Amino acid sequence: MKTMFSLLLYSIQLILPFMAILIAYCCFRTLFKSLKPMRPLVVLLNRATGEKIPIMYWENSIGRDRHCDIVLNMPSISRDHAVFYRRKGGWFISDTNSKVGVLLNGKKIESDEKIFIGDVINIGGVALELCRADVLSLKNRESEDADFDYDTYSGGGLLVLVTIFQVLSTLSVCFGSGKFDYKPAVLSGIMLLFEWLVFVVTKFGFKRDNFEIEAIAMFLSGIGVVNLCGVDINDAFTQLIAMALGIILFEIIVLLIKHADFCMKLRPYVAFFALALLAVNLVFGKVKNGSQNWIMIGGYSIQPSEFVKVAFIFLGASTLKGIQTTKNLTWFILFSAACMGALFLMGDFGTACIFFVTFILIAFMRSGSIRTVVLTCATAALGVAFILNFKPYIMTRFSAWRHVWEHPNDIGYQQTRVLTYSASGGLLGLGVGKGCLKYVFAAPSDLVFGMLCEEWGMILGIIVLLMIVLLAIYVRHAGVRSRSAFYTISSCCAAGMMTFQMIMNVFGVTDMLPLTGVTLPFVSLGGSSLVSVWALMAFIKASDERTYSRG
Amino acid sequence: MRNMKFRSLILYFVIFAFFAGLGYYIFEFTRESRDWAFSPVNRHLSNGSLSGGKIFDTNGEILAQTVSGKRVYHENEDIRKAVLHTVGDGSTLISTSVQSRYNAGLFGYNFVTGFGAPDYFSSNQDITLTLDSKICASVSKKFGDKKGTALAYNYKTGEVICMVSLPTYDVNNRPDFSKDTDGKYDGVYLNRALSAAYTPGSVFKIFTAMAGIENLSDAETRKYECEKVKIIDGEKVTCMQNHGKLDLKTALSKSCDIAFCDIAIELGKEKMTRALEKFGFNSSQYFEGIELTKSVYDVNLASKADLGWSGIGQYTDTLNPMHMLKIMGTLANEGNLVEPFVVKSFSVSGAKENQKLTKTSEKSVISKITAGKMKEMMRFTMKNQYNDSLFGGIPMCAKTGTAEVGEDKLPHGWMVGFSYDEKFPIAFVVVVENGDFGIKSAGPIAGAMVKEMHGIFAKSK
Repeated sequence: MKTMFSLLLYSIQLILPFMAILIAYCCFRTLFKSLKPMRPLVVLLNRATGEKIPIMYWENSIGRDRHCDIVLNMPSISRDHAVFYRRKGGWFISDTNSKVGVLLNGKKIESDEKIFIGDVINIGGVALELCRADVLSLKNRESEDADFDYDTYSGGGLLVLVTIFQVLSTLSVCFGSGKFDYKPAVLSGIMLLFEWLVFVVTKFGFKRDNFEIEAIAMFLSGIGVVNLCGVDINDAFTQLIAMALGIILFEIIVLLIKHADFCMKLRPYVAFFALALLAVNLVFGKVKNGSQNWIMIGGYSIQPSEFVKVAFIFLGASTLKGIQTTKNLTWFILFSAACMGALFLMGDFGTACIFFVTFILIAFMRSGSIRTVVLTCATAALGVAFILNFKPYIMTRFSAWRHVWEHPNDIGYQQTRVLTYSASGGLLGLGVGKGCLKYVFAAPSDLVFGMLCEEWGMILGIIVLLMIVLLAIYVRHAGVRSRSAFYTISSCCAAGMMTFQMIMNVFGVTDMLPLTGVTLPFVSLGGSSLVSVWALMAFIKASDERTYSRG
Repeated sequence: MRNMKFRSLILYFVIFAFFAGLGYYIFEFTRESRDWAFSPVNRHLSNGSLSGGKIFDTNGEILAQTVSGKRVYHENEDIRKAVLHTVGDGSTLISTSVQSRYNAGLFGYNFVTGFGAPDYFSSNQDITLTLDSKICASVSKKFGDKKGTALAYNYKTGEVICMVSLPTYDVNNRPDFSKDTDGKYDGVYLNRALSAAYTPGSVFKIFTAMAGIENLSDAETRKYECEKVKIIDGEKVTCMQNHGKLDLKTALSKSCDIAFCDIAIELGKEKMTRALEKFGFNSSQYFEGIELTKSVYDVNLASKADLGWSGIGQYTDTLNPMHMLKIMGTLANEGNLVEPFVVKSFSVSGAKENQKLTKTSEKSVISKITAGKMKEMMRFTMKNQYNDSLFGGIPMCAKTGTAEVGEDKLPHGWMVGFSYDEKFPIAFVVVVENGDFGIKSAGPIAGAMVKEMHGIFAKSK
């Protein structure tokens, strides 16, 4: 009887990785399948030549520069002359500091002007008439849709898979100690109820059909919560609260950034808020685990730098009009420097690194200039060399790197434990709650990848990582389909930031990189971290063209 | 928007960095996961919660087993202490122990399930050792609070019957080594039989004698002159006594320093080194695949007097006990070495069939003639110098050593030897650290060990 039971429990251990593979497959298949072939939205007809210019994107630059979406090679036209873009209310044109200006139906435009079908815009002498896409005499839509393979999974279906996974993993942790413990089941039950509530609200309340991003994030944060049930049920409860707050914040941000132009107006406030947070942190911050990046509010410790990450992406992103009209990045560079400086003062080098890489991503996405990237890296290298010259003791923090087995009881303590227990778990794991790594300091937060490998198995650990990387690959592919460059930039940079943070975490604890004490997105114990990563997911959600298609 | 498509390619730098790192990590994991899993820091091993196979001694005594989730060792404390270095303590701190070396088999570890496979599937192996745990226990107790090692093996079959290393401790009651200030537990995790090399003192004369026999035509017949003190290039070499004129056989039995000093100087650095390297000095020797601490003979920088001292086992000479045991077995077995081993067999728990280990066959190390001569000389030494009563009348061949290790410390005591009668094929090595004269410290331990083995041997016949 006992043997039968342990075999049953172990069979869960075998099923979980395959469930995870299935969930990842279904979610990402649906996401990638949603990227339908692009069709022209409208057509601009060149009155003089009769050329029909198909408009593919929601935001289009017009100018002489060969990088523009609509290239008009006339000496009278500026390099970046105007931006022609679509919003909820229709199509608009905006002059982006051109020399000769833009005429709409013969009148010079001052700011953004709405254009109707049949209107004529004159750009440096070129007259363009706005026409419907069907002037291109394409195949009709129905037949094209029929050609397209719609083998995808509904949001409800995905959530069913996630639910099965969470029920099974909860069973595993309930019996982890040999006797049945009801608490994880209660916690997991609340989590499932909340997840389904979110599904119902978004599907029927917000009329959104796409649920893949939420399903992926729920799957990953669910693993984090159940994993914590095996360590400390109170921590698991806090994590669940953070997950709920994160989802709520996610929905708020998705609604808030519905209008890209509104986001642009919000930027000064967000910048002020972020800097204020950092300032409060610097003044009132508490030193915890070597870095002063915590503030205490009502018994809860909060890491403001996690929220500044979200603001950082928000401020870095911009609509095409914003990019074309503000050519230099001065304000953003100053803001970034302030953030990174504050993080250095707090002693949080890991997060500073993440900000730096994200800065490079943003700078390149906005400017497209490789020179900027090289210059930034060179400046940073100089800066680091300068700091190390004056504070050489910082290096001692990294002296264990690649030598952890020589210092298993001091500076290599955490890394050696991660390696030894990851190996103990093998590919399939020991069972949730049955590990030894959890007794090591900071295991559920910084070392959580080791816990995943030990208790859930290395296969599952790697799937968790792959899902985050797949998100990055997906946003890169979805890129230009989104409704504004704002979403393209913010989603790519958010995914890049998460991926880089994951690299720092996973390869830090496995001694492939110096250990820096950053969290693994979604899975690590840490309320601020979980809330902020859900907030970052909002950018990815917003970049999905389906998100705002109804309602 | 179009150029966003190109610019977002920068994301692939991060993505490729991830895949490169992941690939390298998986590569490292596949290569090293076993070492990581059995690292001493792993609490799965040290808290003994893993179900593991049994370890038996040669008589079927269970030295270690897992009972309802706990690793349990032999009920007798003396036996637990005596076999600690061979069996291990559950962690991999004693890296040469069987539980460390065969942990994957014992604890059912594999790459795929880690330690996680339920008992139903696990294929824990049992291991049977060649040790006689009772003999080990009584030998170990004889050391009192001295450090050292005692080894004995059957030179015909290779089975190690006794292997103890001191200091030791009780796995069921591990002392707090961090509070050990007087060095009582120095090197407690080392099996001194394998992982130590001591100054050999006079037992080294066996090697010098062999070097002489093989390189000088009149080494045995000529007379060596001992006047207690000899001045070589202004440096003194002293002997215990004024032995007068004596031949090699007598010189070995009386352990005359001057005679062996003369042989070493006459052979010179090059020939001595070549001879000693033939006997296994300065190169890696192995026991069941474990690399032993090297025995060292290095006279590169020696003065003439130093070279003389090197011939009597002082200067910088060091000797590994297991290496010496193999030499003893070789001399006893007409120059052919039967490799010693301690793991007799593996078997899967519950299964009847034993999987015999393939043992290395005999190999010729020392010429039969030299071995025969040494055997007679050591028999002569035993009979005339020490008296057979030490071994209860069992005819043995032996040599003691007293190795000076510093002004204020007692010398290390050695006794090495083997049985004269091949029907009771036993070779032994005993080292007592700071034990004083070899015959006084190592002698009684060797005597008791051989007598006890002989008693059991006679009974089984």
